[in-house]
Amino acid sequence: MKDIRLERDVQTETNKIEARKVQVYYGTNHALKDVDVDILDKTVTAFIGPSGCGKSTFLRCLNRMNDTVASARVEGMITLEGENIYDPRVDPVQLRAKIGMVFQKPNPFPKSIYDNVAYGPKIHGLTRNKAELDEVVEACLRKAALWNEVKDRLQSPGTGLSGGQQQRLCIARAIATSPEVLLMDEPCSALDPIATAQVEELIDELRSQFSVVIVTHSMQQAARVSQRTAFFHLGYLVEYGETGAIFTNPKDPRTESYITGRIG
Amino acid sequence: MTTVPPTQDAVPAADAPRVAHSLFAPDKRTASRNAQESRFRAYGLVAIVIALLMLVWLLFSIFSAGLPAFRQTFIEIPVQLEAAVLDKAGNGNPVEMASVTTIGYGKLIGRALTAELEAKGIDIGEMTPKDLVGMVSENAAADLRDMVLADPKLLGTTVQFKALAHGRIDGYFKGRVTMETAARDNMTSPEKLMLADKMVAAGLMEMRFNAGFLTMPDASDKRPEAAGLGVAIIGSLYMMVVVLCLALPIGVAASVYLEEFAPKNRWTDLIEVNIANLAAVPSIVYGILGLSFFINFAELPRSAPIVGGLVLTLMTLPRIIIPTRAALKAVPPSIRDAALGVGASKLQTVTHHVLPLAMPGVLTGTIIGLAQALGETAPLLLIGMVAFVRDFPGAPMSGLFDPASALPVQIYNWTQRGDPGFVERASGAIIVLLVFLIVMNTAAIILRRRYERRW
Repeated sequence: MKDIRLERDVQTETNKIEARKVQVYYGTNHALKDVDVDILDKTVTAFIGPSGCGKSTFLRCLNRMNDTVASARVEGMITLEGENIYDPRVDPVQLRAKIGMVFQKPNPFPKSIYDNVAYGPKIHGLTRNKAELDEVVEACLRKAALWNEVKDRLQSPGTGLSGGQQQRLCIARAIATSPEVLLMDEPCSALDPIATAQVEELIDELRSQFSVVIVTHSMQQAARVSQRTAFFHLGYLVEYGETGAIFTNPKDPRTESYITGRIG
Repeated sequence: MTTVPPTQDAVPAADAPRVAHSLFAPDKRTASRNAQESRFRAYGLVAIVIALLMLVWLLFSIFSAGLPAFRQTFIEIPVQLEAAVLDKAGNGNPVEMASVTTIGYGKLIGRALTAELEAKGIDIGEMTPKDLVGMVSENAAADLRDMVLADPKLLGTTVQFKALAHGRIDGYFKGRVTMETAARDNMTSPEKLMLADKMVAAGLMEMRFNAGFLTMPDASDKRPEAAGLGVAIIGSLYMMVVVLCLALPIGVAASVYLEEFAPKNRWTDLIEVNIANLAAVPSIVYGILGLSFFINFAELPRSAPIVGGLVLTLMTLPRIIIPTRAALKAVPPSIRDAALGVGASKLQTVTHHVLPLAMPGVLTGTIIGLAQALGETAPLLLIGMVAFVRDFPGAPMSGLFDPASALPVQIYNWTQRGDPGFVERASGAIIVLLVFLIVMNTAAIILRRRYERRW
């Protein structure tokens, strides 16, 4: 059993994403209030908090997936490398190619494994020919630690894989557009412990290339995979800092109550 | 509403001893509940049996009346095509030969029949050659004329001609006409029926499969034996092509826009309610719309499949939009999220993922919509498709503007005619229509079963 690793060095100190005074409203419901976060490059940042605290909402702000919810309204500023992603000039479609996303429930397209991974590069025109596309697909499946399991059946449907394999396929699909940031919305909540361990290991490896933001309900998972942790409660960002510090020496009493299991 | 307070003895005291009750004998409440349930089952069973009996009755009456339409009595005799009679100019020019009317050909048939009966040694008694011509359909002379005009080289030769027997003779073999009715009928006589029996015995007359029922055009009131569904089938086919080509793309585009792109506000709600209402609008209303718009305003020709198709398109649109929207709704949002998440645009999400997944539902809805349109009669009556049409419409596209009939209208038309032979024709046409509908609905079911996805 893997120990909870609390001491982990953060390799860079460059900010990838900066969020300032982010407010989100669903209709009249003020779901997210005054959130300020700096997400570092090449780091795993975990968002924890009880259900309905706004952590998934905030995650979906980062690639403007909230645009698809008609009633959602976002205020404040979120910048990706200094550029405001809510600027009217920004095309959310282009943004989402830079900020990939993995969802809670594995959602492969009902197409072949190959087509699942190749879809992103195809629509963005990242490859010039079939050989290049083959290479990208293989590289992404390797990075997602799925290549050895599926290399002989690339043309079989992605929906026929097991849950853990499907989730790794979704990760491969997300990294195939070579994003800069990878958002993961409770990627392990539908998986068994073994598949979870595989995905967590994968997340740790992905850190070398991407900035990873992961929403999780499991504090153990946050502690295992992340270097930075943000604790959300009732729409507020309560505490944000090094994972070790949050779990061993929380400054806010609400954080302490949550990680010791008294609220949430 | 008043509630009766529980009486003292209705509520057993907590310390009252439990009445020992065997599990083998149901108590009063259980028995009454069980009785209720078995009564309910019996009602259901009775309902099913009634429905099935009705269906059996319907099918029996249609098939018993309609199946004879697929068999027809023919008289097969050698006919000498005398050049002197048929081609008075003697140059084989079909244009000049056309001046010989069916009366001339009828005489030829009469002579041929007389000669053949003599050759076979059948006694014709008191019957004149004119009476003998009454054995064959009035349409036979026209058929022979068409045959000769189409191929003038036949002149002077003797051809083996298969003539339709007269409707009354045909009816005699189908049990519709008896000696008693023939005695009172000025279109036939018992002598003719007896002669028909002799001709069958001599092998001159026989009943065989009637392909003409599916290929021949309609015929006039006195010639039920020559009436066929050819024009009606082509007309219906043309209309279905028009409906498919218009209703499917328009319906799918409207559904995709409403479901995937349109903002959800009061206007789209209003449109949605109206689409649902349009699906319930009586079809004759669409006929009035078609009459006033397509014929009176746009001045499209009457009785044309293009107008019928346009009217049926209007009628079918809501019936395609509603199941298409349901099919689009049934595609799980996780697929849309996945596509948007890798940076697909809204349109790419729809065309690459959502629409292909919804396609089985869309096609099922379309086929069922088409099947409904195929059986629709009322709007076609108003745009003049009920006219008597004997000429086949041309090939598409110009053929879409030629007058034609349609299957349901042809059925309606035939049920209006006096000759009892048309009852059989109408029932036969119903069988044809039912076969088309069953084939289409089966295709819809197969599509749905085969491509149904589970997530």
